[in-house]
Amino acid sequence: MSEQKTAVPVKQKASIVDVFLKGCAKGFKVGIENITPAMILGYVLVYILRETGLMDLLGVVMSPVMGLFGLPGEAFAVLISAFFAKASGCATAASMYEAGALTLGQASMMLPACILMGTLIGHYARIVLVTGSNKKWHPLMILICLFDAALSLVIMRVILMMMGVQ
Amino acid sequence: MENTKENVQKETIGIGAWIALIFLILVLSGAFRTAEGPIKVLDFTNLSGSFGKIGDTGANLIGSGGTGAKDGFMAGFNLIPPVMFFCGLLAVFEELGAFKASDVLFRPLLRPLMGIPGKCGIAFVSSFTGSDVAAVMTKDLYDAGDITDDERTIFATYQYAGSACINNTITGGAPLVAICPVALGPCIIIMFVCKLVGANIIRLVLALNKKKA
Repeated sequence: MSEQKTAVPVKQKASIVDVFLKGCAKGFKVGIENITPAMILGYVLVYILRETGLMDLLGVVMSPVMGLFGLPGEAFAVLISAFFAKASGCATAASMYEAGALTLGQASMMLPACILMGTLIGHYARIVLVTGSNKKWHPLMILICLFDAALSLVIMRVILMMMGVQ
Repeated sequence: MENTKENVQKETIGIGAWIALIFLILVLSGAFRTAEGPIKVLDFTNLSGSFGKIGDTGANLIGSGGTGAKDGFMAGFNLIPPVMFFCGLLAVFEELGAFKASDVLFRPLLRPLMGIPGKCGIAFVSSFTGSDVAAVMTKDLYDAGDITDDERTIFATYQYAGSACINNTITGGAPLVAICPVALGPCIIIMFVCKLVGANIIRLVLALNKKKA
């Protein structure tokens, strides 16, 4: 009666731990190469807008449009920077929340919108052109992204209101 | 055309893959963020943890009241741990087959959801976490005659808004995810719904356009 251990089959592929560690390392790279630079851009932008008084101007000019979504005019700066890069839109919103220009509800409300209408130029090349989709519809496709973002603002506003977040 | 018995050669998706998918959804849902007891470990935010406070200043190492590039750097630094953790987590779930399981889940829904064939399933699922693979696959599907020009337009519109919405929210959206009272999972569902609405608008426009022609 030999006690034979059922040998655990030695997997050739990477173990789960290895997969996890590799993923984390990839995340570090993303953090250093993508997120932190975007944060610096966003924070510097907000600093410039605030110190030059441009933020106040933007607030006045854009307040009728942004008011539709329950946002102050200044929030337009968030959407503009998101249009060029999602991350800097979100960083701008976070920094404006920290500076007291947006409430927690207003800043968080823009999270899905920053993603949905974010980096539209970069992704035009990476998605719309790569798929080879019919050129006739490209302008509409861009408009739809903006529409999706507006829709998400409304949905988020309702949810945050139901949660009682100001 | 699709009734050629979808010989998709059921890739064996074990129970493990389904469990992994359920876990992934739970962890991202935020359902246990404020739970009492050990079950709170099933939440992405809780697992990401927090920096300790310095002395009795109440502030962590990021401090408070900073401005400009230095403050931006610290804010970015603050986000690196959860992003690293998320990327690790996602890699593990992918390895466990959670993505393949979600492909099986979504495949039959693509026609009703946005009028594209089930063959787009893998591209659809991969578009949650990466823009490029899905875009290339979409082109291949068209080139192979699996989808029409209109279906490609609808699918590309879906992919365009927010592109890889899960990864982009975790990485690009990190500064807001860190403070947003709505958990990550619900935020992603909201984006998904908006993307679907957008895709269906163009689906409608294309249908009307076809009728006119």
